[in-house]
Amino acid sequence: MAAGFKTVEPLEYYRRFLKENCRPDGRELGEFRATTVNIGSITTADGSALVKLGNTTVICGIKAEFAAPPVDATNKGYIVPDVDLPPLCSARFRPGPPGEEAQAVSQFIADVIENSQIIMKEDLCIVNGKLAWVLYCDIICLDYDGNILDACTFALLAALNNVQLPAVAINEETGLAEVNLKQKTPLNIRKYPVATSFAIFDDTLLIVDPTAEEEDLATGTVTIVTDEEGRLCSVHKPGGSPLTGAKLQDCITRAITRHKEVKQLMDKI
Amino acid sequence: MKETPLSNCEKRFLLRAIEERKRLDGRQSYDYRNVRVSFGTDYGCCVVELGKTRVLGQVSCELVAPKPNRATEGILFFNLELSPMASPAFELGRQSELLVKLNRLLERCLRNSKCIDTESLCVVAGEKVWQIRVDLHLLNHDGNIIDAASIAAIVALCHFRRPDISVQGEEITVYTPEERDPVPLSIHHMPICVSFAFFKQGTYLLVDPSEREERVMDGLLVIAMNKHHEICTIQSSGGIMLLKDQVLRCSKITGVKVAEITELIQKALENDRKVRKEGGKCGFAESIPNQKITAFKMERAPVDANDVEEQAEEIIMKADPPLDVFAKPILWTPGTAQIGEGVENSWGELEESERGEEEDDDNDPDTLEDPKMEMEDVSIVSKTKKDDTIVLSDSEEEEVVILKPEKVPKKTRTPTSSKQENSSKKVSNKKRKKKRVSY
Amino acid sequence: MGSEPEPGCALRPFAVEQGLLSRPDGSAAFVQGDTSVLAGVYGPAEVRSSRESPERAALDVLLRPKVGLPGVLERSREQMVRRACEAALLGELHPRSSVTLVLQVVSDAGSLLSCCLNAACLALLDAGLPLRSLFCGVTCALAPDGAVALDPSARQEKEARAVLTFAFESTEKRLLLSTTRGACSAKEVEYVRDVHGTSV
Repeated sequence: MAAGFKTVEPLEYYRRFLKENCRPDGRELGEFRATTVNIGSITTADGSALVKLGNTTVICGIKAEFAAPPVDATNKGYIVPDVDLPPLCSARFRPGPPGEEAQAVSQFIADVIENSQIIMKEDLCIVNGKLAWVLYCDIICLDYDGNILDACTFALLAALNNVQLPAVAINEETGLAEVNLKQKTPLNIRKYPVATSFAIFDDTLLIVDPTAEEEDLATGTVTIVTDEEGRLCSVHKPGGSPLTGAKLQDCITRAITRHKEVKQLMDKI
Repeated sequence: MKETPLSNCEKRFLLRAIEERKRLDGRQSYDYRNVRVSFGTDYGCCVVELGKTRVLGQVSCELVAPKPNRATEGILFFNLELSPMASPAFELGRQSELLVKLNRLLERCLRNSKCIDTESLCVVAGEKVWQIRVDLHLLNHDGNIIDAASIAAIVALCHFRRPDISVQGEEITVYTPEERDPVPLSIHHMPICVSFAFFKQGTYLLVDPSEREERVMDGLLVIAMNKHHEICTIQSSGGIMLLKDQVLRCSKITGVKVAEITELIQKALENDRKVRKEGGKCGFAESIPNQKITAFKMERAPVDANDVEEQAEEIIMKADPPLDVFAKPILWTPGTAQIGEGVENSWGELEESERGEEEDDDNDPDTLEDPKMEMEDVSIVSKTKKDDTIVLSDSEEEEVVILKPEKVPKKTRTPTSSKQENSSKKVSNKKRKKKRVSY
Repeated sequence: MGSEPEPGCALRPFAVEQGLLSRPDGSAAFVQGDTSVLAGVYGPAEVRSSRESPERAALDVLLRPKVGLPGVLERSREQMVRRACEAALLGELHPRSSVTLVLQVVSDAGSLLSCCLNAACLALLDAGLPLRSLFCGVTCALAPDGAVALDPSARQEKEARAVLTFAFESTEKRLLLSTTRGACSAKEVEYVRDVHGTSV
């Protein structure tokens, strides 16, 4: 009976739940799904993490390689993020070159890295003007059930936190780099950006951590990225229904709380 | 989106008008539409309007390695884009036949005519040369794209200034516009295309066809010429036979038109140079007409920001302070942790099996099953502590046995393990139940 | 308004022209200082079957850079502009049809995204498409010393600690779109959120 109602009037079905301050999956409006993180999931990568947010599953692998630093900034390395939404994670994605959503998420992740200064690019330089690290951060979604931005941001952070870079010494005689795999150091993580996404229902109701179903029914989304000092790294609202200032402030407040939760989780593992 | 087709009536009407030596926009057969050139604030940026056809041109440059067979020559690159803005028929990223034809013609007109001194673009022979890239965007399609594009390309090239450089030994220094004035390209001559449309197997001829006229024409002749009356390119398309006299007449008309257009371009460039020198206003804002109902201009608009701070303060004050109570993270094993006891994912088994594998990489397959089981049980115990016991019905129990058939023989091993086995069933059943509820 | 406006708290001179292109159903050029964007709208028109929706008009936004091919940045901006326009456009009135918005960057000298939004709104208006509200975009830059510069030029953007772009709808001045670059505090966001120019 309920299933039939849901198929015919999905929006009305949701509204009934939201009126009672809960969601069809049993969560309250401001409640996140269970967040699980596993680090070092890929043994061949230099750093990796698997993050599950309810059913949404994202894996991030980081590969470090050598490269010559850019000509205009000789003391910097590179961070190259890439988000892949393959057809296997949801029927909505088609094989072939990355679609609009994948490109938008990639750009968002690149912006988060740039904005939050999660890692100083100067830290990735080995020899000024000669050698630097390139961190290829490949994020792949394995199961798409909404809130991909939060999952990707968290996976990236956890994976970067897991990276162990070998010590590199330049041989004076040959001028070649020598890698000492025995001596490994973690990256210097400067900031811990955490994303919190909201879906806007009927222009007024805000629900945290929307599932794919909720995202489709909602009229807009907001993503707020904060760091441990409560500073905003990004207030990303790509269109959708308009919001008042007070509502936005509520979102920011919730995002700060979420950051504390995630930070505790990060410290624990 | 498809182009709206031209109806037979419209076709007949247009052709009849041409037979009577009349054109829809009131021009004579040999009249060219008005050409308007405006410049952007950047060097090498211009918009050319030919009647209602509008093309945006932008020239940019880059230091690259030269082609191996031409080590001392710079590289010229032309790219005309038919933006979907210009006509609904143009699709993005599709190399249509028309686009390929236009680009080829443009290259022949501007690159093969050697109007740009490519040798002056060489920095270090065989190592570094300038690549000049000309991007042209068609913004509005009202016929005769090639003429508008060729004018836009040559105007943009004339307007462009590249950064000054100096070479000392192996070191190449590129100066910013503040350090040294950028230098113009060296241009030998200015080839300009003029199009002729032929109707009724070449009986009638029109200069500068509009979009409507292009749709009913039989053939097209494009002549590229400079002001010294030197033909750079000539192309006839559409499969009509032209008489020698017709071609000669066309080339004579071209000579007149090219002289007019060249003069206009030079005047426009001179004008822009003067304005820039005097530090006056330039750029596209100046090209927007003042007295027009569809246009609006506003000078520097100050914004009142006096009470903003108070307003912002107020909003922040009103909002609830961040909560301090938050979920305690649960550490499953080193490397795997979780927060929130909200909704379990429907395939929650993954963590357990994964952890099992992680810890027991060295175990051989026979014993692998056992620790895995234990791991699962540990988490189950913690879970069952939290939740109330669940009453199972027989049918569901059977379902579970089917789900994990490989575990059935182990039931008989020890009494304790079978007990745990039972509780594992409970959990997986609980999960299945939840799944059923949420879907 | 004060006699001496704070430096930075003012928009650069801006100018618009509507209906300047003959082919599109609606067009607008928006010039903000030296930044200029041209927008053209086609629609409501025939829709590709893959994009057809029985609920509302399918909106496509294309952002064309001046040099080279559109990249990831353009795609993400396209998505933002599309969602902002979708919120303002009464697409339910034209189901099973498509609206195409093409934005051409004519010159970029800072505040490009807000200029795109303004051009988009005016082009939709010129096309006579029913809108829920108007919208406008504003970019502001936070200098390292905390000063707010509205409608920054390319140089101000480069030097700034944070650059924030917002779009507001005209009926209740609510926030329609927001995107930020660089880190800043919540208060600063609120501050600049309230400072916004008037729609044309």
